[in-house]
Amino acid sequence: MSTTTTPTTDERTTAAPPPTPWSSRIGVRGGDWGRWVRERGVYLALVVLVLVNVVATPNFLTLGTLQLYAVQTATVIIVSLGMALVIGTGGVDLSVGATMAVAAAVMARLFSPSDGGGSPLALAIVVALVAGTLVGVVNGLVVAVGRVQPIVATLAMLVGGRGLALVFTGGALVEMFHPFFTTVRTAQVLTIPAIFWLAILLAVVLAVVVRRTAFGFRVLAIGGNLPASRLAGVPVRRTLVGVYAVSGFLAAVAGLIVTMRLRAADPSYVGLNIELTAITAVVVGGSLLTGGKVRVLGTVAGAVLIQLLENTLTAQNVTDSIARIIEALIIIAAVFIQRPSRSAR
Amino acid sequence: MNAVHQTTAGAAVAVALAVALAGCSTGQTTSSSGDGNGGAAPTVAETLGTAQNGVPAAILAAGGTTLLTTAKPEGVEAQYGPMCKGSDLGIGKIDFTKDTIGWAQSEKEANPFRIASTKSQVDTAKAKGWKLLTTNAQSNVQQENTDIKGMIDKGAKAIIFSPINSTGLGDAIAYAKSKKVAMIPVDRNITGVTGCQDVGPQLGSDFVQQGRRAADAMIKATGGQAKLAILLGASGVNVTDDRTAGFLDELKQKNASGIEVVFKQTADFTREKGQSVTETLLRAHPEVNAIYAENDEMGLGALAALQDAGKAGTDKVHIVSIDGTKGAVQAIVDGNFDAVIESNPAFGPAAQAALSAYVNGDGAPAVTITTDNQYDKSNAQQAIDSGTAY
Repeated sequence: MSTTTTPTTDERTTAAPPPTPWSSRIGVRGGDWGRWVRERGVYLALVVLVLVNVVATPNFLTLGTLQLYAVQTATVIIVSLGMALVIGTGGVDLSVGATMAVAAAVMARLFSPSDGGGSPLALAIVVALVAGTLVGVVNGLVVAVGRVQPIVATLAMLVGGRGLALVFTGGALVEMFHPFFTTVRTAQVLTIPAIFWLAILLAVVLAVVVRRTAFGFRVLAIGGNLPASRLAGVPVRRTLVGVYAVSGFLAAVAGLIVTMRLRAADPSYVGLNIELTAITAVVVGGSLLTGGKVRVLGTVAGAVLIQLLENTLTAQNVTDSIARIIEALIIIAAVFIQRPSRSAR
Repeated sequence: MNAVHQTTAGAAVAVALAVALAGCSTGQTTSSSGDGNGGAAPTVAETLGTAQNGVPAAILAAGGTTLLTTAKPEGVEAQYGPMCKGSDLGIGKIDFTKDTIGWAQSEKEANPFRIASTKSQVDTAKAKGWKLLTTNAQSNVQQENTDIKGMIDKGAKAIIFSPINSTGLGDAIAYAKSKKVAMIPVDRNITGVTGCQDVGPQLGSDFVQQGRRAADAMIKATGGQAKLAILLGASGVNVTDDRTAGFLDELKQKNASGIEVVFKQTADFTREKGQSVTETLLRAHPEVNAIYAENDEMGLGALAALQDAGKAGTDKVHIVSIDGTKGAVQAIVDGNFDAVIESNPAFGPAAQAALSAYVNGDGAPAVTITTDNQYDKSNAQQAIDSGTAY
């Protein structure tokens, strides 16, 4: 943001800021178009990226490739959904990757066919999901009751959660095999992978929750104006704990999917850095980092966009160093174009 | 690609721009046979350098200047002088029955190599009755500096350490020098040092040589004809550069022009990235029928991707990887890997013997290259049964 304002201007506190040259070019004078790009640009970007792939990536428009990309995207979508809800309250959950690791590690700890006497897989999965949810509950309690800033509370969990996961597995990667894993990997409904259906189902549920339930309204109210919500009698603590619990649960789901796909629980690397991907997906999808607004479809599109971008760079064999330069260009451009319009606040 | 994964914020114009750029660079990299891929990575010649008096450039960089022809202890491939003595740096004798020494591990003990590497140090010290402090820097170079200095402050008279990278530990090395503490790097060498002047004797594998042997194994497995993908290790790490340079140079030297490198991408030494990168590559380049993975974990991730694509098995896609872990050697037995070049993590006995000779004895060579095993169908089962595969 600072690229277009003088250092002394604080955008937030300026009541009616004069349009800067850049924003006037794309935003104010462009009127509706500029605003549309800011808020719905993710769909446009997605279309562009798909078209580029159609032209440039060999075998992109084949069933196998699209199915693979759907599977790879599913976990990013699932984690991003939880992130969208948390960001809707004006918070952030940096611990989603660590939560994935905790869930993976708990499953590995319980279901360890290597020593013969492991728990049934179903039990291991349920306990792992509960563990992930509990991580979220702890985050929620620290934020809501402890009044610790979400970024700090979940940062602590990012560090501690991964440590916990390493303890559960003794630090090492644990290989696991079960016919059900194969089913999860290969099952399809209407030629679409079951894992992707799960992500879509969760997105629909979240959309309904956000738009149609009291819980959803409370989330938006808290994100919109926390003090006012408190005064208005919104059960802030309960809602926040619920929100972080949902994020933890969804992260656990994603962690188990990754584990079943890899046939191994890797507590060191499962979900590493996915929190940044998820935050980006949410913001690119048109939600506000400051809270009060949750765009579920936009978040899904944002997640698809980011995963597809990564796949594109990989499929195009772009060198790591070049990819980083591209990344920098994208960040600059995205910050420039997607500066939240003042009217949207 | 991990970096992109982390922080990309997409917007219409930006993405179009990015992909346009991506498109440009591909045209050049995929059509050429391989090593036109790098902007930042050093070229083969830069990394391999030119041997001087029969001493490879990597050894020269680590302070070795002459090949020693004296009898080699068991498990040692080559030794390079000068001979280092602790007294040269004013380091006094160590009474191992009383004094403590330190072991600084660089990366999480989450993969078999790191587990075996630490276990070797701890077990050796235990067997000798030495007092050993241990730390783990969790892949953070600043942490490793802090760890080493911390152990010195706690009274460690010598530090055996596995450097995260060949450079970046200057802080800890200078501190040790000022406190007259012996420093024994293992696995990755410290480079840019004059023999014995900054650190004590160094012990390591020859990563360039590992890459060469992987290339030889690949030529043998494929009969010199293949569309090859390379899963690179983490960017900016000399192990990655060396294993790439050695591999590509050996292909060139053996005139294996039938092996065409069609894809080269980092998978960060992890199984998960090995899987996801291979999945994507198999869709974009279905013609790929050989994969060189610069560590076993990426190779096993690639195997998971191949299994899902119905392409597992060396009759469909050849795999050669480096490390020598149990999982990868088992994959040879199962018919999924062709060969595994070992990177021997068991530096404990050699390092502690070198330390002893360095501070209390006649000195130890500036650089020691330890012996790496190599596994294929002929000895894989045996390596698992005997526990040689770690």
